[in-house]
Amino acid sequence: MLIGVVPFFAAFIYALGYSFGVMGVLNNGFTTRFWESVFASGEFLKSFGYSAAIALVSLVLSIGGALWVTLKFRRELDKKFLSFMMYLPLAIPGVVAGFFMIQLFSKAGFFARIAFQLGLIEKTAQFPDLVNDSLAFGIIVAFITMLIPFFTLLFLNVYKNERIEELSILAHALGANANQVTRRVFLPIILKKTGVLIALYFIFLLGAYEVPLILGQESPQMLSVLIIRETRQFDLSKISEGYVVAVMYTLVVSITVILLFLPKRKKAIYES
Amino acid sequence: MFLEVQNIVKSFNNEHVVKELDFSLDAHKTLSILGKSGCGKTTMLKIIAGLVEPDSGTISLKGENITHMRPEKRNIVYLYQEDLLFPHLNAFENISFGLRLKKIPEPQIKEKVNHIIASLELHGQATKMPTQLSGGQRQRVSFGRAIITNPSLLLLDEPFGSLDAGTRQRMQSLFKKLTQEYDITSLFVTHDLKEAVLMGDEIGYMRAGMLQVYKNKQDFINDPDTGVQEEIEYWKSLKG
Repeated sequence: MLIGVVPFFAAFIYALGYSFGVMGVLNNGFTTRFWESVFASGEFLKSFGYSAAIALVSLVLSIGGALWVTLKFRRELDKKFLSFMMYLPLAIPGVVAGFFMIQLFSKAGFFARIAFQLGLIEKTAQFPDLVNDSLAFGIIVAFITMLIPFFTLLFLNVYKNERIEELSILAHALGANANQVTRRVFLPIILKKTGVLIALYFIFLLGAYEVPLILGQESPQMLSVLIIRETRQFDLSKISEGYVVAVMYTLVVSITVILLFLPKRKKAIYES
Repeated sequence: MFLEVQNIVKSFNNEHVVKELDFSLDAHKTLSILGKSGCGKTTMLKIIAGLVEPDSGTISLKGENITHMRPEKRNIVYLYQEDLLFPHLNAFENISFGLRLKKIPEPQIKEKVNHIIASLELHGQATKMPTQLSGGQRQRVSFGRAIITNPSLLLLDEPFGSLDAGTRQRMQSLFKKLTQEYDITSLFVTHDLKEAVLMGDEIGYMRAGMLQVYKNKQDFINDPDTGVQEEIEYWKSLKG
């Protein structure tokens, strides 16, 4: 409680106070104008929607990829070398992954040069915008390269611990074909066991900073980038607006986490 | 014959696990199979279930050669030593698993599952998840899940091995009752002499990958290799 909750709660109260003008050098007392200003500009909602869309697309593609790898290559991944190769990307920090994406996908990057050598483009400007682009291609690819190894290792672990191999054999014996085993045994067990972690990862991606800072566009920006930009402005009156966004983001995330960990209601009784 | 197993051979890394397996079984009968650990009992069951491919030999069920048929096409259910339940499904859904695969209408599924829940003495347990059930209850759910699909053949691999003596005894009576009620044909592998005699209409003894099926229970009791005589002498000596 002392290490986790108290500092977090204190910081939240400070941010709340700042957002209502109670704290801060240039603030003169309670006001709702910063909140009104943020809602009027619509930047928070746009940034929130943009961040949620990027997090969702990255997560869905990563989980889909990791499930496919687990299903098709679980025996191969038991080998020491391949297992090591899966752990390796986990050691790469977000900043480094961001710069890798620049090296690979920018207009002067690796793929642009290959395209030029192959005669597919005549000048770098013809290469499509794959970093700092409006569709967040660079951000999503960076997230996917970091997430697929993580989720694959997680799913492989659940596969072993939950004895999905034996359960699949059993399902076959009860008459299930390969497709039914995947849909009725493999997917529900893995997704149920990792559901909370997946939801927490969505929140983590929602608040990601380094990758969208390096690979994102000017507007809209992902939430953390927007918050930091607002709170670091030369115009000190804008700082409070940054805290409004931070408070709203914290509230959304906290409510989501509370809902995730609330005890589940029992399902309907079958016997009647 | 309902089940005919002829000259089945299986080796793993040059080790002959099953040698010239040859036996048959009538419909609605239970063949108890005894044998020490590592004698090839589980491999034999897995070959019949289609989970392990034999090196040679044939298996026929109801006159049809099923040696190379896929497991899900055989209508044979192999029950593991442990009560392996689907962890994401409650007792009701575990039992109805095979029925749902066959896309049976919901009211029929409900009726069948509730009937078997009553037969298995699992009243009030339908909505419980596997972790909320006792060992005996889990084993009964596992049985129910297998029986409800009306399998041609049920293969039981030491199903009561992990249960305490009292629960084991209750499960034995329940199994006997259910085999009669549902006309089940089964192979029942066990380590326990008494259980083999109690559960089987016929008894077989497996040693070093070879199965000997006795003509009657007396032959089984008289064979010194089975250990029955030793057991009788032991209990007699206690009596004084």
